Amino acid sequence: MNLKILLLDDEPIVGKRLKPAIIKLGCDVEVFDNPAKALKRIDEEAFDIVVTDIRMDEIDGLEVLEHVMNKSVRTKVIMITGYAMMELARQAMEKGAFDFIAKPFKPDDLRNVIIKAAETLGVRLKEQG
Amino acid sequence: MMKDCIDKRYKCVLQWLKKLIDKQIDQREETKGAGIEAVEKTPKKPYRFTIKAHIYVGFVVTFILALGIGASMLLTMVKMEKGLQLSEFANNFYASVSQARSFEKDYFLYGSGIKESKQVIKKLEKQVITHYGELKKHIDYENSIGLLEKYVKLLENMEELDRVKNGFDQLDKAQRKERLQKELKQCGSMLINSAEKLLSKGSDATERLIIHFRTVHLYALVFLIFFMLFISHLLGKRVLRAINLFSKYSTLMANGQYTTIMSDHNYNDEFSDLSMAIDYLIKELDRQQQILAQSQKLRAVGTLTSGIAHELNNPINNITLTAHMLLEDYSDLSDEERIDMVRDLTDEAGRARNIVRNLLDFARESETIMEPICIGGVLRDTLKLTGNQIKLAGVNVDLKIAPNLPRIHGDRHQLEQVFLNLLLNALDVTRKGGHLKIHVGPSEEPNFVSVKVIDYGTGIPDHILHHIFDPFFTTKSKGKGTGLGLSVSQGIIAKHGGQITVDTKVNRGTTFTVKLPITTIPADLAKCSEGVNLSIAT
Ligand SMILES: Nc1ncnc2c1ncn2[C@@H]1O[C@H](COP(=O)(O)OP(=O)(O)OP(=O)(O)O)[C@@H](O)[C@H]1O
Ligand SMILES: [Mg+2]
Repeated sequence: MNLKILLLDDEPIVGKRLKPAIIKLGCDVEVFDNPAKALKRIDEEAFDIVVTDIRMDEIDGLEVLEHVMNKSVRTKVIMITGYAMMELARQAMEKGAFDFIAKPFKPDDLRNVIIKAAETLGVRLKEQG
Repeated sequence: MMKDCIDKRYKCVLQWLKKLIDKQIDQREETKGAGIEAVEKTPKKPYRFTIKAHIYVGFVVTFILALGIGASMLLTMVKMEKGLQLSEFANNFYASVSQARSFEKDYFLYGSGIKESKQVIKKLEKQVITHYGELKKHIDYENSIGLLEKYVKLLENMEELDRVKNGFDQLDKAQRKERLQKELKQCGSMLINSAEKLLSKGSDATERLIIHFRTVHLYALVFLIFFMLFISHLLGKRVLRAINLFSKYSTLMANGQYTTIMSDHNYNDEFSDLSMAIDYLIKELDRQQQILAQSQKLRAVGTLTSGIAHELNNPINNITLTAHMLLEDYSDLSDEERIDMVRDLTDEAGRARNIVRNLLDFARESETIMEPICIGGVLRDTLKLTGNQIKLAGVNVDLKIAPNLPRIHGDRHQLEQVFLNLLLNALDVTRKGGHLKIHVGPSEEPNFVSVKVIDYGTGIPDHILHHIFDPFFTTKSKGKGTGLGLSVSQGIIAKHGGQITVDTKVNRGTTFTVKLPITTIPADLAKCSEGVNLSIAT
């Protein structure tokens, strides 16, 4: 059974490029660039890992984090933060985020964090290829 | 005739004065010319006529006139004294002659009196001789002396005739006596005649002198008064004109319009020196204002930078991700996929470049370039510049630009700075999810366009309202506000001939209105066509 991962960032390129990168880990990935739609999907489906940008126009990452935490505590939430946003990152950690990763980052950076999160969920992921 | 004299004297004095002033001016220009030229770079050098010289000349002329009047008074007084002497002498002359004649009559009636008569006339003769100088002008002197001598001779002849008792026969004696008597009578009446003439001449001269005295002094006094009035009127007009000029320019200055003072006369004086000093002050103020504006701009850049750094992260992140994936999967990808990724790379790089260029454009220290511009465009650029800041603050902005607005004459970058300041101020008091409105349209005042930046924030309490345009006045925490925004903005708008006004209500919000005059250059009258109704929702 593959891990289910939801990736949310309002920059469409992020999802477009990261999707194949994460698939290589052997996970099922759904990407969104619209937070509202993503939240709706979270309500429908139980994801193992949620990766979300912390600053988006309509709904910010902290709200998404709260939403996920309210639904299932075991879901690991990884926050994507911006430059010099330590304060926001700290808030996210307090609210139960698993980890954060600062923009700009390489695909491997995210994959490493996802692998760590999977480990805490008791799943060993291995990069294929 | 007297008027003529005054006229001539006055003309002479004026000519002499003019020469004196010219000479003085020449001298001053020689000595001071170099110094003036160093400061003032006007091509034609106006001659120098200082207020000091004006007062000095006025005083000297008045003094000389007063002196002249005094002297002429003294002169007429001396003349009058002489006239009085003459008439006194004439009286004396007349009295002596009358007395002599009455003695003569006595002699013919009672046979005695010849001696007395002779005595009186001799005394008179002596007096006439001593007064030769004065009398010469008024009477036929030789004739009078001749008459007197003849009279004395006749009297002596008469005496002689009386003394010779015998010798001539009685008849002959009586006949001679009768002839002598006749001659004596004739001579006596001629004497009386000339005495009367002298008398009337004496009183005539005195009367003339009195009239002369009166007229001269009346005219002189009137002239002096008018002259003094004239001089002080000139001086007053000069000073008042200068003061009016200065007050006009200081009002302009208070409105932030730093123009050099243009003198409206072609000579220079103390006020020219003052205006030069003020011009220097104005230039210095303008320079300081520019420094202030630049530092405020850099400060605004600082505020924008956090937003921009954040915004830059997105394209850089996209580039990083895309480039790495391209590297990783290069051989597995189809050509189209590769092309898509490379296109993403160039697009994102362009996006990053635009963000940086916007900021650099704004931050650049640029010269003032006044040109006909569409104010709507300036606001759109400003909004572009603050786009990230607005997103960060989570505020909705409505921009409304009326169509067919006339152009204004101004500097695009400076105006951008003004609207940026107003927008940042408004953003600071707007809560997340709040609204801001920017309305660009014609002003109620004809020939002006207005830009309103409307927020629904805290408003400004009365005790602060007086100070918001002061440099360095801020209510924001250290590091957040320098307090230069509004003061610099006001300076810029004033330079454009416009005005910033505030309308505020505590807890309701604030509207800053910027009014700018439309351009009057005929070639630039083409209207800005596009109307805009734009909402930035976050
Ligand atoms: N829209 C507004 N609503 C309420 N208060 C305002 C508004 N605009 C200005 N003020 C008040 O006027 C003060 C002066 O504004 P100004 O723009 O000159 O300086 P600043 O914003 O404090 O600093 P800076 O612009 O240099 O960063 C502000 O500190 C604030 O108190
Ligand atoms: Mg400000």
